[in-house]
Amino acid sequence: MNCDEFKPMLTGYVDGELSAELRAALEQHLDGCEACNRELASLSRLKEELAMMKFKEPTDVELERYWHSVYNRLERGLGWVLFSLGAIIVLCYGGFKLVEEIVRDPGVAVLLKVGIVALVFGTVILFVSLLRERLAVVKVDRYSKEVER
Amino acid sequence: MEESEVKLIRRCQTGDKDAFGAIVKRYAGAARGAAVLILGSYEDALDASQEAFVRAWRHIRTFDTEAPFYPWYAAILRNVCISKMRRRSGRRTVELVDGQARSSADSDPILLAERNERRDRIWRAIQALSPPHREIIVMNHFQGLSYKEIAAALDIPIGTVMSRLHAARQVLKSSLSDEEE
Repeated sequence: MNCDEFKPMLTGYVDGELSAELRAALEQHLDGCEACNRELASLSRLKEELAMMKFKEPTDVELERYWHSVYNRLERGLGWVLFSLGAIIVLCYGGFKLVEEIVRDPGVAVLLKVGIVALVFGTVILFVSLLRERLAVVKVDRYSKEVER
Repeated sequence: MEESEVKLIRRCQTGDKDAFGAIVKRYAGAARGAAVLILGSYEDALDASQEAFVRAWRHIRTFDTEAPFYPWYAAILRNVCISKMRRRSGRRTVELVDGQARSSADSDPILLAERNERRDRIWRAIQALSPPHREIIVMNHFQGLSYKEIAAALDIPIGTVMSRLHAARQVLKSSLSDEEE
């Protein structure tokens, strides 16, 4: 193996992620290679510098606010499901009753009846189509899925 | 004394939201910081990290309590960040969008503890990395994920984790030395 093949392994070596076999082969190479030793030193420096960079710890007030925000989302999740379900039932029932009433009303012009029926059914078709599209996207969208553990 | 993570997770699995609150508070700082580095915007990072906690809660019953919580959460957070960037860019096929973090006005290292000129420069250099490089640097250095955990989160072989991380560090080193010249 030459330097180009060993160089990516230097990263694994610095991180302690190499297998015993690869580590031994790399150490043997490092015994006689100045360029790889220089590379190893600079990678180690960078790792040390990155290790020194820490995120600010949030204050207690920030943590409380953060958790409240998460908690509200947890609560609202169920609320939105119930709200959406209720809205769909009410809208479907209302739409059906409206169409039924208009169709049965002899005082309403036939053209208007056709228009309203088309409007209601068009809305239903569009809604179902959008729903199907969204479900199809979720199915193939690997980033919307959670990680199994 | 702080309750152990395993006990907290077990309580979460019985629907105990207070236990989940303790988990959220334990990791909020790390989650928020990692998301800022990936997304480049504090507001987006706050939203993404909270959304990832909500998703973690929804799936907490399937979580194996023998495993540590944070790597699992980090993988969820990564997916939320990608979805967010994709929505932001309005493109479906894009993964992490190059340059988005850099273009944000919030990309100052506001979440960095003990700042100095050198660390600020490294922060900016990380944000200037290409998306796959930025992501792997954040996962390894700032979220403390092992190669195995990164491989699982990104769905790539461990060898690819090592070579991608090596390439990312090379770019980082080179951009830092360019600035110094």
